[in-house]
Amino acid sequence: MIKKILLLFQRDLKVSVRNFITLYILVVPVIFAVVINIFSPGINDTTVEIVLLEGENPEQVEYFKQFANVTLLETIEAVEERVRKRDHIIGVLPDGSQEYFILTQGNEPDYIVDYVKNLTAFDHYGIGTEDSTAEIVDYGRDIPPLKKLMVNTAMIFTSILGGMIIALNIVEEKTDNTISAIHLSPVSRMGFIAGKSLMGVFVPVVSAFLILTITGFRNINYFHAFLMIVTSSIISILIGFIEGINNDDVMNAAGNMKLLFLPLFGCIAGEELLADKWQFLFYWIPFYWTYKGNDLVLSNSGSWLDIIKYAGIVLGISIIVFLVLAPRIRKGLE
Amino acid sequence: MKKMIKVENLYHSYNNDDNYAVNDVSFEIRKGEIFGFLGPSGAGKSTTQNILVGLLQLQRGEVEVAGYDIKHIKNKMFNKIGMSFEQSNVYGKMTGLENLEFYRKLFDVETREPMELIRMVGLDGKENIKAGEYSKGMKHRLTFARSMINNPEIWFLDEPTTGLDPAIAANIKDIIRQENEKGVTVFLTTHNMHIADELCDRVAFIVDGKIRLIDSPKKLKLEYGEKLVDVEYFREGELVKDSFSTVAGGGKDRLVDVIRNHEIQTMHTKEATLEEIFISVTGRGLV
Ligand SMILES: Nc1ncnc2c1ncn2[C@@H]1O[C@H](COP(=O)(O)OP(=O)(O)O)[C@@H](O)[C@H]1O
Ligand SMILES: [Mg+2]
Repeated sequence: MIKKILLLFQRDLKVSVRNFITLYILVVPVIFAVVINIFSPGINDTTVEIVLLEGENPEQVEYFKQFANVTLLETIEAVEERVRKRDHIIGVLPDGSQEYFILTQGNEPDYIVDYVKNLTAFDHYGIGTEDSTAEIVDYGRDIPPLKKLMVNTAMIFTSILGGMIIALNIVEEKTDNTISAIHLSPVSRMGFIAGKSLMGVFVPVVSAFLILTITGFRNINYFHAFLMIVTSSIISILIGFIEGINNDDVMNAAGNMKLLFLPLFGCIAGEELLADKWQFLFYWIPFYWTYKGNDLVLSNSGSWLDIIKYAGIVLGISIIVFLVLAPRIRKGLE
Repeated sequence: MKKMIKVENLYHSYNNDDNYAVNDVSFEIRKGEIFGFLGPSGAGKSTTQNILVGLLQLQRGEVEVAGYDIKHIKNKMFNKIGMSFEQSNVYGKMTGLENLEFYRKLFDVETREPMELIRMVGLDGKENIKAGEYSKGMKHRLTFARSMINNPEIWFLDEPTTGLDPAIAANIKDIIRQENEKGVTVFLTTHNMHIADELCDRVAFIVDGKIRLIDSPKKLKLEYGEKLVDVEYFREGELVKDSFSTVAGGGKDRLVDVIRNHEIQTMHTKEATLEEIFISVTGRGLV
């Protein structure tokens, strides 16, 4: 059975990649991630980056490597060019004799510059961690709230995209009238529905991980992220089925998925802007809980218990919606 | 002889009222037989077939297909049956070959080589073209080819030659005969009497959801042949042609009536075709 479910999914994926609209939908999350990076640049890395001259002072390189990301380049010109790039990499170059100077572009935050100055000085005087009572801590920075908000929203958005592709695939089956052919093969009705649903899990999971990687959320708990993404996709899958069943036209089916944008953006705005006493207004929206859960995931501050709690609430609401819609979905696919 | 299909007192109403699309239908199909279900469009042929393959919910009656009770359909049953649909239904965004490759993997039994089937129905050279770009006839042939992919024991064919040009229809007819010679039981639905006449071991005449008669074409011709009278006569100044059976359907009375009341131009007896037998038995044409 699992094999056949995967087969149905494979077929959907193959056809979706060939179709312009679905292919576009599949690419949208990557565009999102890139756009988010443009809006909040330079926070890809939570550690300080330093560029040094190759072979000039191997001991210094070893020392710096303990506390920062080190890049080595061959010429002074190359180092200068590297520093001029958009991110906050800082160069440390020899200035004749035993002296070093710090090469910056000018827009780097002070604390990074100070950090590199200190490192250079400590190295010069031969101070290691063992000599110091103070600890040299990693200058990990907090993630800007706006970036977190955008990534969070984009992640939930991808689940809606998954639902959209399901709707389109159902419309395809309906126009080609192929559901009856599937029913005449040893694939059960539930198997068919399961196969069609996989796209709605696959798209958000892959897209969300792309978004997380591209926007630099690499140190979060990926299991937590996975749990939040999968539970958030259920509701979009259900709506995807219903829209696919109710529409005979590809554009209408995709267009009607927009219905989900309202509760999505509504509850995010509510979560971010409204006072606590009004929060209950959004409790019925699964995206609200996903948003809260995702927020913990992105700031890496959620415990398993927190995540299970939020994922559980989303699952609970989705099950209720499923129970309401399941008969209509089954009937619609006869 | 082993029964492959058993249908008893089958009824079906699309609106769950007294308006039956299938009305008290009973028949049996033996293993290795080609059974023809003949009737004008709207007679209830497709409805019956769709109930037999589980596409429509059984409302009333007993149906057994390949030993499976249709009330409790098991998915395994579909390994044993194949169906070619009246309206072709293939994935337009996949090529002919991809359609078959995908479909064959859904079965648990040994399946046939897609290319072999594509050649059989004359689609070779077109296998890598998207089915969406096929003509209507080509799609129909692909649907037909797909229905054989799991080596079905019972093969349901809903209007397999309708809308195809004569050469291709003849090819389809040959394939049906070949497969039948290998032992495949065929349930053939059609309003084309020539196909039925040439292929079927037995036929059922169905009109308005009811079976009027079940017999072999041979026996029907023996019974009705030479007892058919073709008459050309004048009615209200116009020359009219009509056939009368002297055996069934009150034909005798009508013939007497015509002779008594109209001027006769020509009149002769002849061997009846299946179509004429159908008309004289049911009082209905086949369109
Ligand atoms: N989906 C449907 N809903 C309502 N009535 C239908 C449906 N399909 C067929 N019918 C009606 O049922 C009768 C039998 O149709 P059908 O079985 O398709 O006939 P045939 O295959 O012999 O041409 C017709 O009167 C037709 O209008
Ligand atoms: Mg029909």
